[in-house]
Amino acid sequence: MYALWDVLGKMPFHRSVEGMRKGKPVPTVTIDGCKVEVEKGETILDAAKKAGVWIPTLCYHPAVSSDASCRLCMVELDRGEWRQLVTACNYPVRRDIVVYVSSEGAQQARRGVMELLLARAPDSQELKALAERMGVKETRYPKVTESQRNCILCGLCVQVCEEIIGQAAIGYTGRGVDRTVAAPFRQPSEDCIGCGACAAVCPVGTIKVRIHKDQQEVEISPFKSRAKLLVCEECGSPIISVQVIEQALGKVEVNSEEFRELVRLCPKCRRSQTAARLEATKFCKKE
Amino acid sequence: MIELGNAKLRSAADLEHMQEELRARHTPSAKCVRVCTGPGCAAKGSPRLYELFCEAVERTGADVEIEAKSVGCHGLCECGPIVLIQPGNIFYQKVEEPDVAEIFRETILGNRVVEKLLYVNPATGQKAVTPEEITFYKVQKRIALAGNGLIEPTNIGDYIAEGGYIALAKVLSSMTPEEVISEVEAAGLRGRGGGGFPTARKWRSCRDADGSPKYVICNGDEGDPGAFMDRAIMEGNPHAVIEGMIIGAYAIGSEQGYIYVRNEYPLSVERLKLAIEQARELGLLGENILGSSFSFDIRINRGGGAFVCGESTALMASLEGRPGEPRAKYIHTVESGLHGRPTNLNNVETWANVPAIVNHGGEWFSSIGTEKSKGTKVFCLVGKVRNTGLVEVPMGITLRQIVEEIGGGIAAGKRFKAVQTGGPSGGCIPAEHLDARVDFDELTKLGSMMGSGGMIVMDEDTCMVKVAKYFTNFLQKESCGKCTPCREGLAQMFYILDRITDGEGQVGDVERLEGLAELLEGTALCALGKTAANPVISTIRYFRDEYDAHIKDKRCPAKECRGLFRYEIDPEACKACGICLKNCPVDAITGDKKVPHVINQEKCTLCGMCWEKCPFTAVLKV
Repeated sequence: MYALWDVLGKMPFHRSVEGMRKGKPVPTVTIDGCKVEVEKGETILDAAKKAGVWIPTLCYHPAVSSDASCRLCMVELDRGEWRQLVTACNYPVRRDIVVYVSSEGAQQARRGVMELLLARAPDSQELKALAERMGVKETRYPKVTESQRNCILCGLCVQVCEEIIGQAAIGYTGRGVDRTVAAPFRQPSEDCIGCGACAAVCPVGTIKVRIHKDQQEVEISPFKSRAKLLVCEECGSPIISVQVIEQALGKVEVNSEEFRELVRLCPKCRRSQTAARLEATKFCKKE
Repeated sequence: MIELGNAKLRSAADLEHMQEELRARHTPSAKCVRVCTGPGCAAKGSPRLYELFCEAVERTGADVEIEAKSVGCHGLCECGPIVLIQPGNIFYQKVEEPDVAEIFRETILGNRVVEKLLYVNPATGQKAVTPEEITFYKVQKRIALAGNGLIEPTNIGDYIAEGGYIALAKVLSSMTPEEVISEVEAAGLRGRGGGGFPTARKWRSCRDADGSPKYVICNGDEGDPGAFMDRAIMEGNPHAVIEGMIIGAYAIGSEQGYIYVRNEYPLSVERLKLAIEQARELGLLGENILGSSFSFDIRINRGGGAFVCGESTALMASLEGRPGEPRAKYIHTVESGLHGRPTNLNNVETWANVPAIVNHGGEWFSSIGTEKSKGTKVFCLVGKVRNTGLVEVPMGITLRQIVEEIGGGIAAGKRFKAVQTGGPSGGCIPAEHLDARVDFDELTKLGSMMGSGGMIVMDEDTCMVKVAKYFTNFLQKESCGKCTPCREGLAQMFYILDRITDGEGQVGDVERLEGLAELLEGTALCALGKTAANPVISTIRYFRDEYDAHIKDKRCPAKECRGLFRYEIDPEACKACGICLKNCPVDAITGDKKVPHVINQEKCTLCGMCWEKCPFTAVLKV
């Protein structure tokens, strides 16, 4: 008997029970009645994803820190006697909480925010599609703010440029209704490397990448910044911005010579060349 | 100017010794002229008066001991420039340059009162010699403003002679940080910046929070239209704020403090800078304060003029050198504030109350005020009252007392309509609620708030829709633009209000405004956005009939919105003088000698020139 207790006491199983008891219980989030467990510090949005509940978001992107500026992901948090509207994308779960996503109050708040956004960016097809999914057919408000066409100022482009690309080529100018996303002094930015990450994250399709074939340049619209393009040695079609290659060389561990060889051709030409090479090899083998 | 030794104070006993020495230098027969150089009086030329008094003092022989002091705001700005003479505490108002020689000859040398400079009670016609005889001062109770108008803000010796830094000495020599927090808790002090959060609870959470260094911040980014409470304290008694901060830092366990002052207050910055330097020289700031193991220092940061930087998280972002934008506060600043460290932020007035609480005890402080709002509150009484100025009243006093007794009622025989409290995010309280008590919770219940203490009184000539529009416009311009509801919602509200005051309001506009207000309150990111709809909501709540008159009848009851009333000439009052006719820029007025004039409504552009110029008030707004 004595030996058995001794052994049990040293077993890892025993330690884990101890750990549970000492106190890091996993918080439970009840979303519209459905219970999910999350790690401490995860957000309501994380919990909702686990529970399979959809919450509309615009300014949220897993790659960047969440700013909660668009206010579209409002949900109701049970506070006992009353319910508090909170943003799901950045509310950290620290203890057991009860959340309502499809309650009348939460839906009304989200639809209200959506209507304001629709009034600001009435031409965005992406926004319209999201609105329809939320049950908002049209907005009651006229377009009254004119600072930037179709931009909802979610700030993802600014964040991605600063946090991921590390360039901070764009930022905000003005405040209140005059706030706009722009490069310093609204001039084409020297820091812009033409990577197009801002266009990729833009949830309403306002930022666009334009290729100017004649000048061999890429333009990021509406910031007017341009960057030189590397062109395919074979067909002359544009491949990628020169500065992006330089950035990538600084970040990724690759044999730079090999990398340069790789970007000599456009993907299409590279494929056909490789295919041709393989074809030749096959031919040789047959012989 | 009192000369101070260069030696640093190494203990509480040193400070007390210095205080005694400073007091002993004054002979009881010494005379003192205190000239108010607060913002109101300074605008009326009081710095020049001070210079003249100084020159006069220099010219007098050495047989009389006279001192001239330039002091902070006295409060009764309406009657500035104000000069107080000791002994006797004689209160002179509206003093002009030629009066200086007379005051000097009569009062200071001759011990006689200059009758023509005394304050006259407009109701009774009685003259008041001392401030205590004036109703404006009688109803007030001064704690945060106690040193204002008494001490010279540029002279630390003056502050120490009046009992300054004794609270700090007491704290460092005989109290533990926990005891200090308990004292503040017993006092029931709540944040004076607007939110009214219990100060002791904030201090304790910051003290208990993990992480170091810890920071304390003084919020001096006062930006409400018509408010100058914090400015008056920073300019009139900067050491009270500094002493309060040192005590708070000791209680919290912080070694670095910041004072964030808006750039539009250059004198506040100058006075605080000087005060900090003086305190450092005496060893009241810096390493091992008063010989204890506690070290603390303060830096001043100037804000760039954004209203939103008065919001705690935006202020901290600005201090860090980032754009002044608020962030979500699901993690409190007492846990993760400036540079991600535990940070305790309090308003200027809150800090200025701390030394008094330590000196007189928490119980004394909590004996003043109501059940849940203790102590006093400083207000800036402005607008259509007779006595505008800076007032400090005990909590629990009624709004009526403030407006009628302290403010002296509405000027020019008009009727009271509403009082707007709490700055741009506050609400308008109508006449039927004038008996409400000044208390954090009671004002919130009425749809307004305590705010930082602006109090704007409006009379019957004020259009409430226009008031709502004014504040909504202020806030939409000052919104940082980060979150959707505040940026877009306020712009939409302003758009609707603008069309209502233009006479183009539509049925359903009030409901639309209410819908937007509810959305804003629930979904905006920071307190600025959440409370931004208060002016609209409170005016709809109490003055719905004015909104309806604008929308349905296309009529402005207060006759302030251009286009929603017209000018007419009262034929009985018209003396056919022809002044209106000559001044009308569009020749819309016809008339002849001895024939009452008439306005051609089709030609009239509603410029109001005839109304302004008519000497017989025969032009009416209808």
